[in-house]
Order: sequence, then structure tokens, then C-alpha cells
Amino acid sequence: MFIEQLALDQRQAALARQRWTERALLITAWVFLAANTLALSISRGDFRLEAWWHLLAWTVCAIAGVWLLDKRLPRRDPLLFPLALIMTGWGIIAIERLEERLEPIFADRQTVWLIISVGAMLIVASLPQVLRWLRVYRYTLLVIGLALLVSTILLGSNPSAQPGAPELWLGFGTVFFQPSEPLKIILVAFLASYMAEQYPALRAEGLEAEHRLLSLSPRILGPILLMWGLSVVFLVWQRDLGTAILIFVVFLTLLYVASGYTPLLLIGAVLVLIAGIAAYQLFAVVQLRVDIWINPWPEASGDAYQIVQSLFAFASGGVFGQGIGQGAPNNIPVVHSDFIFAAIAEEWGLLGVIAVIGCLMTLVTRGLRSATLQRGRPFTALLAVGLSLLIGLQSLLIMGGVLKLIPLTGVTLPFFSYGGSSLLTNFVILALLLRLSSESPSPTGER
Amino acid sequence: MTTEVILLILRVLAGLALLVLLGLLCFALWRDYRSAANEVEARRRVYGQLIRLQKIDGTYTPTGETFPLLPLTSLGRSPTNTIAINNDFASSEHALVALRNGQWWLEDRQSRNGTTVNGIAVSQPIIITDGDIIGIGAAQFRLELDH
Repeated sequence: MFIEQLALDQRQAALARQRWTERALLITAWVFLAANTLALSISRGDFRLEAWWHLLAWTVCAIAGVWLLDKRLPRRDPLLFPLALIMTGWGIIAIERLEERLEPIFADRQTVWLIISVGAMLIVASLPQVLRWLRVYRYTLLVIGLALLVSTILLGSNPSAQPGAPELWLGFGTVFFQPSEPLKIILVAFLASYMAEQYPALRAEGLEAEHRLLSLSPRILGPILLMWGLSVVFLVWQRDLGTAILIFVVFLTLLYVASGYTPLLLIGAVLVLIAGIAAYQLFAVVQLRVDIWINPWPEASGDAYQIVQSLFAFASGGVFGQGIGQGAPNNIPVVHSDFIFAAIAEEWGLLGVIAVIGCLMTLVTRGLRSATLQRGRPFTALLAVGLSLLIGLQSLLIMGGVLKLIPLTGVTLPFFSYGGSSLLTNFVILALLLRLSSESPSPTGER
Repeated sequence: MTTEVILLILRVLAGLALLVLLGLLCFALWRDYRSAANEVEARRRVYGQLIRLQKIDGTYTPTGETFPLLPLTSLGRSPTNTIAINNDFASSEHALVALRNGQWWLEDRQSRNGTTVNGIAVSQPIIITDGDIIGIGAAQFRLELDH
């Protein structure tokens, strides 16, 4: 009918606008990547084909991704996929630029991981039942995750094979995998589904305000605390302190979001402080990190060399950066994984840093937005909050660490850093967010 | 051109691309929040009402029944309609009043006894304005818009 046709036209126009946004973002990103690839080739003085292969692979991923997502999830959030691709492409070109020093071809590997990750994302995003599976099989998943973690403790190794380096990887021939990465998703899904089940109790419906603490009784919190404590103990045992603190904070925030009980935040802050002091006393690594955070300069050419070089990189970047291939970010040790933010700051300057933060911030706020739209569905809402927080807090931890705002914790910068398991995990998180955003009703309640 | 000049041009191009990217992001977010705000606003707003009329001695008199006007108001005998009409001459899904592109439209939903505007039968969707009298079967309503 005519009037209904008009409404349909309006909805289709909105859909067309969304598609336009997605494509415009991807085309701009392509121009950015192409300009940088060309500049890198010129500044190096050799036109290696590899760099152009990476750009081609990125383009194929973008086109295939948009095409398949249009088919499977036409109502998805249009910003999520382009943002992830922009960040990954930028990461690859930055790794490519840092390659002079790195022996196995890291950018090639990262490109292969990008293809695998986009494939995994498309598969996860097109499974209609994936959110239900996360809820129904939460104990199975958690047991698998913990089993992987235990096997890392028993069989773990480090790809760089240096003595004394933390052994967080499971090696299969030349491929290494970090089980603590998928464990993050599993743990968030577990916490979200358990808290959703206990939602009325956590919300303390029917309780007086002064009896609010009763709702957080051990009967409700016990299983959560047990599972979460087990994971954190394993991670601390492995000296994977960055992931441990990330999961600690995400847990507290999720509990706060589920219960809406503000004193929890205070209790959480005190707990983090206590955990920090305890870690400072117990672990030499933590002590060293905190000491060089307070004053790196006496150790500037020793233990604090990395962070001091990172600060120099930020300083020499200035507002517009040195230009790709024209700075000296290779002075920073292990710059391609944890310190890639410093390399970006040196070669793309303040503008690049703002763009990085803008991309990550938009990704996180879009995730939180799809959480607010999940009315009356605590599991999906909590899952969206938890997954967005994983990306957001991890970015804050490493960006703050690289800038010496907080003590350094060794986590990757999501999407940018070199690391296959990290990239794959982030793309699976992205797939779940895409699924969540396309299942949330529009603000008017229309489906 | 020397290498330095080409590199500078490429740097400027990359910087511009980043600025365009940030601009696009801001624009997309702004448009999204604006349309969400508009939709919330639209749901809260009062548009006007439909006043039930009765014909006594050739003149229309309000019966006292008024119905708030929604952006999509359906009229008919079935209780699922926004305005349910208890009248044997009304079809179960009789007519639609809808706000589209700033105009109020009236559409007949293939009712048995037809829909009228000011006594004229409606065969295709028609724009209606303040004061128009809509006839649904034997029932009449006057459209009153709030500005």
C-alpha cells in the first residue's frame, strides 16, 4: 500500500546511507594506505612487490567482507567493519616499514593473519545461533579455555626463544598461538551469561536500599568469583599480568553494569590498588615496571631504554610526523607489537595519534551503543558491554603504558600490533559486535 | 620533481586522508545521534487529535470522544487498531492516517463501505489538513492538528 511503501522507502534510504558511509570510509582508508605504500617504496628506493601485495590482499578482504556482510547482515552497524580494516591495514603498513630489522617477514605473516581473521569474522558473523551457543555452552567453553591455559603452562614456549621470556604461546611448527587471547572472549561470554541469569538478584528487585549488599551474597557471586579467580590465578602464574589486569577490570565493570550498584566501583578501585601493591611486592617484573614508570631517566640506557626511546619517538613525531620511512622508530626494541603506537606517533605525528584514538574510541562507543539498544535482553547487552570494554581497556592500557601515563603492561594494541592470535581474537570480537548490532532493534522499536 | 617533493606530496595526501577519515566518522556519528534524537522526539510529540462527531439535524457535533493522533494511526472495527470503531458499517481494517514528509495522508484500506473526506469518497491516498472531516462507515471524525 502507498503509505506503507513510503515507510519502506524511508527505511531503504537509511540503509543506502549506511552503505554509503561504509564504502566512503573504506575508500578513504584505501587512499591513505596506497599513499603510504608508495611513499614507503620511494623513501626506501626499492619497489618491492610485497608491499603492494599486502595492499591488494587488504582490498580483496575489504570488498569480500562488505559483499558478504551485505548479504548476511544488512542491518549491521556500518562503522564497525571499516574501522577494524583501517586499523589492521595501518598496522600492516607500519609493520612493513619496521621490517628492516625483523628477520622472518612479519608483515607478510600479518597479512596472512588478516585474511584468516576476516574469514573467521565472516563465518562467526553468519552463524545465526552464535550468541545462543555462547550462552548455552558457557561451561564447556570455559573448560576448553582453561585447558588451553593449563597446557600453555605445561608446554608453553616463546617464539623469540630467548631464555627468561614469558612462555605464553603454544607452538605448532612455525605457527605460534596465544591461548590467553581467546580466553578473554570466553570469560566475558561466561560472565555475561551468568550475570544475565542472576539479573533479578543482582538488580536486587524487591530489596530495600539498605539491604543492597545482601543481593551480592556469596551464593550468587560464588561461581563467578571461582571461575574468574581461577583464570586470573593461571594468568598471574604465567606472568601474563597485562591480560590478568584487563580481565580483573572488565569483571568489575560488568558487575557494576549488571547490578547498577555504585559502591562497587569504589570497592573495585581499592581492590585494584591492593592487587597492584601485592604484585609490586611479589613480582620483580612489576617492581621494575613501576620503578621505571616513576623515573625512567637513571636507567635510560638500561632497563628503561624501551620506554625512553618511545618517549623520544613521540617527541620527534611532532604534529604531522616525520613521514613514513623517514623517522627512526626502529630504535625502540620490540616496536612491532607492544610499542607500535610509538612508531605511529613518530611517523604520522599527533594527527596519526588522534586518528588512532578516534578509530578505537568510535569502535568502543558503537559497541556500547548497541548494548544500550538491547532492551530487556541482559545477556546480549552485557556481552556487548564486555566485548567493547575488552578492546577499549586494552587500548587504554597499552597506549597509556607507551606514553608513560601508567606503568607498562605487555598487551597488544588491538588491530594494530603484530600478532596473529590477537588479530584473530579481535576480529571474532568484531564479528560478535556486528551480530549484536544487527540484532538490536532500531530506536523506534521496529525490527 | 625531486624525491623529497614527491614524498612531501604523499605525506600531505596521507594526512588529508586521515582528516577526511576523521571527518567522515564525526559526520556518521552526528547523523546517527541526530536521527535517534529525532525519533525519540517524534514519539514524545503530540501531533493533534481526531474528534469523534455525530450528525444531528444536518450539523456535526462532537460526541466528546477524542483520540490522540499518532504518526501512524489505523482506524477500523478490529480492536487491534489505534482507533477501534464500534460501528457495523466499518471494516475491521478500514483506513490509515499517517504522517509522511511533513504531510498528513489518509488512505482507504479497501474497506467495504468506503472512506470519505468532507463527504467525498477516497479512492487513492490523499493529503488532509486541519478541520477536514473523515468518514469511516457511519462514523465521522474531525482532524485537529497542533502546530
